[in-house]
Amino acid sequence: MTTAEIAAWQARMPGAFGGTVRGRLLRLAAGLLFLLWLGWALWHFDFAPARLWNGLAGLLTILRLMVPPSPGELWVDILQGLAESVAMAFLGTFLAALVAVPLGFLGAGNVVRNALFRFSLRRVFDGFRGVDQLIWALAFVRAVGLGPLAGVMAIATADVAVLAKLNAEAVENAERRQVEGVTAAGGGFLARLRFGLLPQVLPVMLAQALYFFESNTRSAAILGVVGAGGIGLQIAERIRVRHWDEVAFIILLMVVTVAAIDWLSARLRRRLIGGANPPPRPRSAPPAARSRSAIRPGPRSSPAGRRAAASRWRGGRGCRSRPCPAGR
Amino acid sequence: MLELKGLTRRFGATTAVDGVELVVPDGQMVGIIGRSGAGKSTLLRMINRLETPSSGRILSGGRDVTALSGRGLREWRRDCAMVFQQFNLVQRLDVLTNVLIGRLAWQRGWRRLMVLLAARFTAEERAMALAALDRFGLAETALQRAETLSGGQQQRVAICRALLQKPRFLLADEPIASLDPRNAQLVMDALRDVNRRDGLTVLVNLHHLDTAREYCDRIVAMQAGRVVFDDAPGALTPERVRAIYGISEQEFAAEAEARRRAAAAPARLAVA
Repeated sequence: MTTAEIAAWQARMPGAFGGTVRGRLLRLAAGLLFLLWLGWALWHFDFAPARLWNGLAGLLTILRLMVPPSPGELWVDILQGLAESVAMAFLGTFLAALVAVPLGFLGAGNVVRNALFRFSLRRVFDGFRGVDQLIWALAFVRAVGLGPLAGVMAIATADVAVLAKLNAEAVENAERRQVEGVTAAGGGFLARLRFGLLPQVLPVMLAQALYFFESNTRSAAILGVVGAGGIGLQIAERIRVRHWDEVAFIILLMVVTVAAIDWLSARLRRRLIGGANPPPRPRSAPPAARSRSAIRPGPRSSPAGRRAAASRWRGGRGCRSRPCPAGR
Repeated sequence: MLELKGLTRRFGATTAVDGVELVVPDGQMVGIIGRSGAGKSTLLRMINRLETPSSGRILSGGRDVTALSGRGLREWRRDCAMVFQQFNLVQRLDVLTNVLIGRLAWQRGWRRLMVLLAARFTAEERAMALAALDRFGLAETALQRAETLSGGQQQRVAICRALLQKPRFLLADEPIASLDPRNAQLVMDALRDVNRRDGLTVLVNLHHLDTAREYCDRIVAMQAGRVVFDDAPGALTPERVRAIYGISEQEFAAEAEARRRAAAAPARLAVA
């Protein structure tokens, strides 16, 4: 490739060579401006290496006090608090997931045609989502008093809007042709929802609810700090009296609990959604699917993946692509 | 010269490729034919080392490439470019960048960092990519996203990407199996052009016997992982086909056509 040829191509398709000088300078200026703003923001928050260094020393002291972790004398309270937190997370997520199913259908454009209704409903979701769980917890502690009930309510209200939005998107991503099949067979509106849409979106909804349960178990610890029950109260008390070894014990216990829930929900997901016994692959499938190093999209990362998950759900009832034996 | 010695690949209990012995001199255009599941894909993928052979050796010019790793492996892959049935372009990147991916294994040191961080390929590389696209009538699409092109256009972009690797071999795994007849011809013409003008050794998997006869210097037929025929195209008479596969050539073609339709349908679904 000679310089003349390169120049000819540059003249013919300047866009292929990274834009004009002017454009490049503009981008450079924008980049510098951003760096300047970043520096100013850090300076504004007193971001200084010395301060960080001192903070690090403080952290190290705490870490030293944490070793060895100790259950302390009130370990029964700790276990009780932990159980309470898990129960709060489960109840809150369960309520939210339950309410979010009908709300998800109501918020989906392919179910509710009335744009004004859908728009207002979605703005209501947005409003609920805009308020953090912790704020809800503070409000419910005032409303229903100290204790786990406030925590359950806070988790449920904060998550119902998020789950409803995710569910609505799942419903909108569902495949129309499957619903059309139900319509053509004479199914009414509710029958279309029940047999055309629900089987497609249920695995997505379920997977989301399980993820939320997992993450709520973590955040339930925070709710206790503001008086909404659970393990958080135990942590807050021990930090106040500087029993860092007991705090470390609680933290370890929480890590184990979250890991256990993660493992359990993964198993549950596989069992309910499929994947335990994958559908037989046709002989003509490209070997790429067999390669271990291939990056596969997760079951929920794309509409296609969602559809795959949906088809696995349908298959999860015992009969896959082959015709069902009579009597099933 | 590419030599395969006793190349074998097992997947669990099944043996996809079974002791293949093959010597391919430089500059040849070899068509590998066979019904689905005969091991054609696995064979090509092993040469590029996308699959690891269970046993046997791959030699290139006398050098063993079966056990390469790290930079050696990347350079070997650069030398034996691959074209896939489903094109395997990055759909969200523009056509030009897709073609420039062929230059990745050539970057060294500072340049490699710039390419990784900001896709900063040199003006020469960009001009090379445009010239390659222009050769197949695609220069005007350079700045579009790959997903906006038709299947036939995407496959030619994939060939451009392969050319920018400046390879010695071109491995084409069912390059026309997802294309309609008109685009299939364009792509096969492109492969022949690459073989004749650039002097690349081309190994192409096909299941259309007529296409193989028309374009290839030599035909290798596989059945159940083994090479059962290896001769000039003229020697592959209808009688030989029946003797090898137990079905007539018409049945073979019908089977291939059914497979093409089956392969094209899920591809569209995945894009949607």
